[in-house]
Amino acid sequence: MTRAIPVLIIFNLMAVIAAMMWGDQSIAWSDLANAVIGKASPELQMIVIEFRLSRAILALLAGAGLAVAGTISQTVMRNPLAEPGVLGINAGAALVASVVIIAFSGVSPAVLPWAGFAGAVAMAAAVYALSWKRGTSSIRIILVGIGLSAFAGAGTSFLTAFGNVVDVQRAMIWLSGSVYGADWSKVHGLLIWLAAPLALSWFCSRQLDLIRFGDDVAAGLGQNVNMMRAFLILLCTLISGATVATVGLVGFVGLIAPHIASRIAGPSHRALIPVAGLTGSLLLLIADIVGRTVIAPAQLPAGIVTALLGAPFFAYLLKGRRHV
Amino acid sequence: MTSFRRPPATEGQFHSRRAEFSRAALLVLAIAGLLVSAILAIMAGQNPISPSTVLSAIFQFDGSRDHLVVTLLRLPRIAAAMIAGAGLAVSGAIMQAVTRNPLASPGLLGINAGAAFAVVASLTLFGASVGNAQVWYAFAGAALAATCVFFIGSVGRIGATPLVMVLAGAVVATFLTSLTTAILIFDQTTLDAVRLWTVGSLSGRTMEQVLAVAPYTLAGLAGSLMLARHLTTLSLGTDVATALGQNAAFWRGLSVVIVILLSGSAVALVGPVGFVGLVVPHIIRLTISVDYRWIIPFSAVIGAFMVVVADLAGRIILANQSFPVGVTMALIGAPFFLWLARYRTGADKS
Repeated sequence: MTRAIPVLIIFNLMAVIAAMMWGDQSIAWSDLANAVIGKASPELQMIVIEFRLSRAILALLAGAGLAVAGTISQTVMRNPLAEPGVLGINAGAALVASVVIIAFSGVSPAVLPWAGFAGAVAMAAAVYALSWKRGTSSIRIILVGIGLSAFAGAGTSFLTAFGNVVDVQRAMIWLSGSVYGADWSKVHGLLIWLAAPLALSWFCSRQLDLIRFGDDVAAGLGQNVNMMRAFLILLCTLISGATVATVGLVGFVGLIAPHIASRIAGPSHRALIPVAGLTGSLLLLIADIVGRTVIAPAQLPAGIVTALLGAPFFAYLLKGRRHV
Repeated sequence: MTSFRRPPATEGQFHSRRAEFSRAALLVLAIAGLLVSAILAIMAGQNPISPSTVLSAIFQFDGSRDHLVVTLLRLPRIAAAMIAGAGLAVSGAIMQAVTRNPLASPGLLGINAGAAFAVVASLTLFGASVGNAQVWYAFAGAALAATCVFFIGSVGRIGATPLVMVLAGAVVATFLTSLTTAILIFDQTTLDAVRLWTVGSLSGRTMEQVLAVAPYTLAGLAGSLMLARHLTTLSLGTDVATALGQNAAFWRGLSVVIVILLSGSAVALVGPVGFVGLVVPHIIRLTISVDYRWIIPFSAVIGAFMVVVADLAGRIILANQSFPVGVTMALIGAPFFLWLARYRTGADKS
């Protein structure tokens, strides 16, 4: 475990350097070094620092956030399929974003992140409130999440089927998740928003280890299960809500990164959470690099490439696996 | 502690003759309800048709306008709804039993994603001339995707365990969905042509299409009824099932074949609808029984009933022939399901 983290950090750094060098205009090592220390020409400075570096950092942050949120929700729900979307976060964000893009197509796109965040948080709150009955239980949260997501999904489907086809296409791009148009203000925003919840979830790693055993065992070991579950769900909602609001729906990272991480780091959350975060950030950054270089000058949304790259890789990981 | 007393009849109730009898009666009632709703759905519409005309159109077709409406438009539509509802609900129940995961649905085998990808790819490659063949593309895509999932899930050394299969399914499904989205983002014509289908639509189904997939559905339903007893054992987990003398790997493989038959044909007909397969088995489990010998037949009937009623509601209340049934179904079904999930689950189940 102690070895995995430095190795992953090095991989992440290498990916950031690659992200700065590759693109429509390839940049040589010497120019890159100059740009980093601020001695390159203004255009080069602009490309490397303003466009590519900010975009790479945004991908790192979003990937880490999604992966940690996925780890939390899989543990709290005790379900290997429970990505944060189970809490209705994706369905809520998708519905509100589709309404904004398709039904009010005149509204400025600057509203989108806020609308997405509001939708995500509102849905998660509704799921939690509806599943509260003298305490919560994982299965009830899952069932209520399925129901509410289906309800919101019906609204999204309706808009998709009957909206103006140009707007539908725009909504699809937003919904599939991308780090287009990244700039430093977005990076700062996401960083400020994620820093505290990410740190808190690492401090909760012992509680996460406990709650995975089941309500009875966790309570027997002295945990206030309902309080802890509520707090962990709140963390998960904040993290993935903010991420979804900034980059759209990148579903695959939250599902797969925790599984890859638990294969590398084992079940203890003290190691699992940082490894998952680093895996997720690496996954999303590589996906973004591939997405904007393979069919340049066109770009594929990172969310799509994540699945295209991650799926075969994960299938390969499953292959050698003896115990699951 | 004093108030804690086990309900005296719990143990016996599960197997008692009386409970079995009342469940059988309920099943008969549900089938009757399904038939009535189907006939109502054939009668109702912008051009109401009397029950006797419906019957004579089916048995003594004379080519009049009403008879044509019944046989060419409404009957195929209702038949497609029933096939799709029954197939999706039963395969959802099987998936949830096999994977032991309440989040499992036929889509988890890659069925929906495979079908959608095949249809979108065929439309992009060959244009709108696909027509009736669309059903076969969808079916083939669904079957291929599910087979991939099963093989990826079984290459490990311990065979297809539920968790590996589920993860492999999620991976393949996401992969194919991403490919589909990538195509649609660049191809507006196909998006326009296919978007109604992707949310589940019953408009414009022909009897030819229905008859083409019906044999697969019927075979799948028959197979699932025979499978039901083994599913209950399988849903207890591989260890228990093995200890009880079950060849878990064999029955799991057979289950996958049946799921491919049922939901492949359903998705081919109405498009990738998720809600029925996910929710109907839960509804049955929450209201009727946790025994798969009951869950399977009830799922078939209630699933078909839900799709027929949702389509009827779309046509009558919204007066729109092409309103996607997937949307109406979720709008009607989701609140009911939420109510069930809230009031019929215990306070401390994990």
